[in-house]
Amino acid sequence: MRDSIARVFGLVLAFAYAAAIVWLYSSQPQTVAEVSGALSASLGAYRADDVAFADGLRFFRRDQFAAARLAFERADPAHRDPRTQFYIAYADYREGWGRVYHDDVRFAHGLAAVERAIAVAPQGRVVVDDPDLQLHSADELKAELEAGLRYDASDLNPFTLFRPRK
Amino acid sequence: MSRLEVFYLPLLFLTVALLGGVRVADRLMLLPPPLFTLVLAFVLVGVLVRSGALAPERLMSPARRPLANMSGLVVVLTAFAAATQAFNVAIPESGLPRLLFSVFLLVLLLNTLAASPDRVRVLRSLVVIFGSAFTLKYIVLAALSDPVGGRLKRILLILLEGVTLGTLSQQVYRPVTGYLAFLTLMLFVSGLALLPSHERRETTAARLEPAPGDA
Repeated sequence: MRDSIARVFGLVLAFAYAAAIVWLYSSQPQTVAEVSGALSASLGAYRADDVAFADGLRFFRRDQFAAARLAFERADPAHRDPRTQFYIAYADYREGWGRVYHDDVRFAHGLAAVERAIAVAPQGRVVVDDPDLQLHSADELKAELEAGLRYDASDLNPFTLFRPRK
Repeated sequence: MSRLEVFYLPLLFLTVALLGGVRVADRLMLLPPPLFTLVLAFVLVGVLVRSGALAPERLMSPARRPLANMSGLVVVLTAFAAATQAFNVAIPESGLPRLLFSVFLLVLLLNTLAASPDRVRVLRSLVVIFGSAFTLKYIVLAALSDPVGGRLKRILLILLEGVTLGTLSQQVYRPVTGYLAFLTLMLFVSGLALLPSHERRETTAARLEPAPGDA
């Protein structure tokens, strides 16, 4: 009897460990916060920090994008909240946007953030109803960031100098 | 009931499977094993069984109860997963070195399989194979790929890159990756040594040895 119990316990332990390894390799967390965040998100218990998010939004509206990103990172250390990731991407877009040329590093960072937002959102749909923004969905923002990172003949069009920042 | 079979071996091999893909650069990466490592692991399990280093009948047999057979199956499966990840540790991630390492490891394993050595010789051989691969990947190749260095080193590297059509240098990882790789390979070889084995297996060499008084 004791032998059977020990064997069952060993099997459960091995299967749980194996499942954890498969989960880690498929979710590729970068930090301990991402590991704990993903675990709590899988249980439906993850929430971004509202106070830090409000701080980030205030900085974002004052065009203090670096400070906004820091606050948003604090609000969503596990990168599991689609709305916060959307704002991080938007902060990158607005900071990296230029009339003559865009900052590729910021745009690439923003693209990674908006892809994270899409990945963690239910059905991949992220819509933010904020009148301060001109791009309300993650799809629009992603297209804008991808267009900014692309090099083609349209970059030589002088009328692009008059395009507005969204 | 053997604690080794039920707890220690599966957990040890799963730890190897976990650590085998860990690479630390500017961020933490968990690299899944390439498909070719599955082939190498399959051949390695064949070598272990052939040499008696792994006795499958001591883990699974009609004489054992179903739960005991299940535990035995877990040991075999986790050993296979660990072997896959051990090769993931040992083989470079890109370029010509990856191709060369993969081919050499396959040839070495097939050669070992054909030679049918006993358990001790197989374990010694595996220590040499993994030790050499570790040295080449984490010491020699890492030093060549490191962008920090003197003018002479950079000139040598440019020449080598020219000869190998730019496929020599690898992604540079933090030193902790090398230490983790070493630990992973040590755990793996220790696990192989702990596997249920045949008590004694007669080798070809032993059979050919003249009996006392023959001469």
